[in-house]
Amino acid sequence: MPSEGGLDRRLKRIEDIVASLDSDEVDLDEALALFEEGVGHLRRAQQILETAELKVEELIGAQGDEVREFEAPDQGDRDDGDRD
Amino acid sequence: MSDGTLDLFADRAPAHSREPSSAADAGAGPSEGLRASGMPGPRVWTVRQVNRAVRLQLEQSLPQLWVGGEVTNFRRQRSGHCYFTLKDDTAQLRCVMFRREAARLPTDPREGMMVRVFGGLTLYEARGVYQLVVARLEAEGEGGMWKLAFDRLKRRLDAEGLTDAARKRGLPAFPGTVAVVTSPTGAALRDVIAVARRRAPWVRVLVRGTRVQGRGAGEEIAAAVSTLASRDVDVIVVARGGGTIEDLWGFNDEAVARAVASSPVPVVSGVGHETDVTICDLVADVRAATPSAAAEAALPDRRAVVRILDNLGTRLGKGLAGQARSRRWRLDQARDLLHRRGRRRVETCRGRLVRERSLVAGVMRARIARHRARLARDAAAMEALSPMSTLARGYAVPLDTRGRLLRKTADFPPAREFSLRVVDGGVACRVADEPGGGPTATSRRAERVGRAGRAHRAE
Repeated sequence: MPSEGGLDRRLKRIEDIVASLDSDEVDLDEALALFEEGVGHLRRAQQILETAELKVEELIGAQGDEVREFEAPDQGDRDDGDRD
Repeated sequence: MSDGTLDLFADRAPAHSREPSSAADAGAGPSEGLRASGMPGPRVWTVRQVNRAVRLQLEQSLPQLWVGGEVTNFRRQRSGHCYFTLKDDTAQLRCVMFRREAARLPTDPREGMMVRVFGGLTLYEARGVYQLVVARLEAEGEGGMWKLAFDRLKRRLDAEGLTDAARKRGLPAFPGTVAVVTSPTGAALRDVIAVARRRAPWVRVLVRGTRVQGRGAGEEIAAAVSTLASRDVDVIVVARGGGTIEDLWGFNDEAVARAVASSPVPVVSGVGHETDVTICDLVADVRAATPSAAAEAALPDRRAVVRILDNLGTRLGKGLAGQARSRRWRLDQARDLLHRRGRRRVETCRGRLVRERSLVAGVMRARIARHRARLARDAAAMEALSPMSTLARGYAVPLDTRGRLLRKTADFPPAREFSLRVVDGGVACRVADEPGGGPTATSRRAERVGRAGRAHRAE
């Protein structure tokens, strides 16, 4: 599940804000507040781009209802094809 | 393979080593039978003995072999066993493929299909017919049975519309979680993770490990897609490295096709190499040539996101400026409207003012006229009271040199100079100065004037 402050959510929110500002239905104070919120998301998004580290998890159990951090096996290719 | 086949036959004829297998042994049966009936005569075999003997002859005299021919009357029983006839122009051979071997067939062969089968000959004792027990069945030509199975499933899925381009969904521009269905130990997963780390390290990769080849792989892949589809993931990548058509067969499973088609989450398929096409590829929303390409399709590139952020920043600014501009425009509109309304209002007021002014003027004129009339009346009345009008009637008023009224005779000592005011001016006068003689006629007249208070006429 993407976190509340994840890049995708922030980008979606900025897009929504831009859409609101373009729609000309906003009170001026609200427009300013939206703009500031958008700028905040932009800054944070840029930070995420610069500092993010990939998170790999594994869904396990018969029903796939348990999540644990994925540990890459030392050697692969046991039952997979050759690399492409 | 031949060992397995021998075992197979051992299973099906477990008793043959205990049963009589030579003509001499077999002869024991009939003689006992004769004894039992008590009738002398030739040696008589039972049907069972004959079939057993022939079966053993058949099984021992011919090794397992490949036979080529045309398939006809292929029937798959509910038990899973398959029966068919192999024929050529002039001959027919009955064949059986037991459940275990038949389950390995990707599909049933078509009627009239040219195939080659591998197996051993035997005799079905219960019916006395001989048949080939088939261990493997392969179609002649490119792809063989696999291609046939593939084409059949594809036709069915095409007919259902599951491979329609119109069904394909776009992928989310900024996935938060990317799910991967693949072998947890395979190169495909390593490739996907490497691409994710390079392109979009802010995403979460959620792996559901499955077998990706061999029996049951298809079911596992299908189940994994269904499981992930019910999770909060944004896109599912189904991946596997290259392999033979049999290796990739799990991705041609109908269950996989149905799971991918019914997934509410878009699916990217990256199975095998560029040239491999699987049913999974055809049903998926996006088909990528390789696992790496699938990851690239599913994940935005960091540089692209930077551009998008720049663009969004610009649009934010423009949006705010647009808000300000639209406000200014509305302000201008409002001002114009106000001006127009104001002007109209002024016009209205001016009209009213003009009307009211003329009204007031009328009233004032009437009032002035009234006043003027009253003034005229008052003036006339005052005229009547005015000394001038008395003078006009012939009276005169004596005034001393300082303009004071002279009323009594005592005011007229002899030789007193005074002025007589008449209607049109003053007359200089002098009281006569006869000592003791009393006032002269002139003075008498003057006295008379003073006495009477009203003079007839001044001299």
